[in-house]
Amino acid sequence: MSNDTPTLHATIRERKGTRYARRLRSEGRLPAVIYGHGSDPLSISLDHIETLRHLKAGSHVFEVDVEDQKGTETCLVKDLQFGWLGDDLIHLDLTRVDLDQLVEVKVRLHFVGEPPMLGTTTGGVMEYDLNELEVSCKVREIPEEITVRLESMAGDTLTIGDLEIPDGVTPTAESSERVCQIVVQDDTEPEETGEAGGEAAAGGEAPAETTEEAGDS
Amino acid sequence: MPMLPKRMKFRKQQRGRLRGNATRGNYVAYGDYGLQALQPKWLTARQIEAGRIAAQHFLRRQGKIYIRVFPDKPVSKKPLETRMGKGKAEVDYWAARVKPGTMLYEISGVTEEIAKEALARVAQKMPVKCRFVGRRLSV
Repeated sequence: MSNDTPTLHATIRERKGTRYARRLRSEGRLPAVIYGHGSDPLSISLDHIETLRHLKAGSHVFEVDVEDQKGTETCLVKDLQFGWLGDDLIHLDLTRVDLDQLVEVKVRLHFVGEPPMLGTTTGGVMEYDLNELEVSCKVREIPEEITVRLESMAGDTLTIGDLEIPDGVTPTAESSERVCQIVVQDDTEPEETGEAGGEAAAGGEAPAETTEEAGDS
Repeated sequence: MPMLPKRMKFRKQQRGRLRGNATRGNYVAYGDYGLQALQPKWLTARQIEAGRIAAQHFLRRQGKIYIRVFPDKPVSKKPLETRMGKGKAEVDYWAARVKPGTMLYEISGVTEEIAKEALARVAQKMPVKCRFVGRRLSV
């Protein structure tokens, strides 16, 4: 978390429900709710563009200045709700936190550079297993992102244990879990593209993957 | 070789209806960028394969393509000039049910410009309107 926690100005939502939430969204407001710490939940609305800007920058914690209320509340983003296309933010859940409280959050991984082995490996491509990392840390120590320097990648695989993680931040996953690896592509036609994906798709698991050049010409 | 299931419990299915929007598989989960359907349609195995080939021809050996839909619905068709009746016809092709919002393909390991161009070529092969999307916010 950067030293200056962003402040969001909020207004209380007097009327709740789908119809009133839609009207707010059409006015450029984002419906949200604050809950936790034994206090009553508070339905609020925030400025959509400003909130989105902070979220895209990786902010997890906000000082929420609610209209007609004394002081601000420190809140952690708990959940995001999206519209039917899956990427338009329609609602935000905020939970009240103390700055010294231990929380688990997902932090974005920012990959920088190119691994040295990639240039020497014929037909090698980078495969990223993780794009974000779940970490446990105090609210005041939540990083906006974790930088992964691929230049320092020794072998063909990078694990969580190899990451430069800031002090006070602990990954919840095991250190042997893979972050990314160099995969060597085959020149052969991928037979499994047609066959293996069947149960995967039906079972909601990993999709069919193809890295090879198609042998279709 | 178009995709098809390894085995099915029942050989033939009723047609069913495509109603509503996708509530699952509607965001970029594996790659960095994706191609999202905006209309409902049965996507045939041949169309899925055509999209894959279009992307791989453009990408050459860069990046990785993820196919997020699988044709698990058998579609039967009577032969031409056949009288009606005499039972349900044999399976003609396999299709994936695509609802508006379904993520069709994803790409990783390439720049946004390359991914956009590759998926634009894939979109040309699709029977539905599509849009290019990136990863969504997460907390």
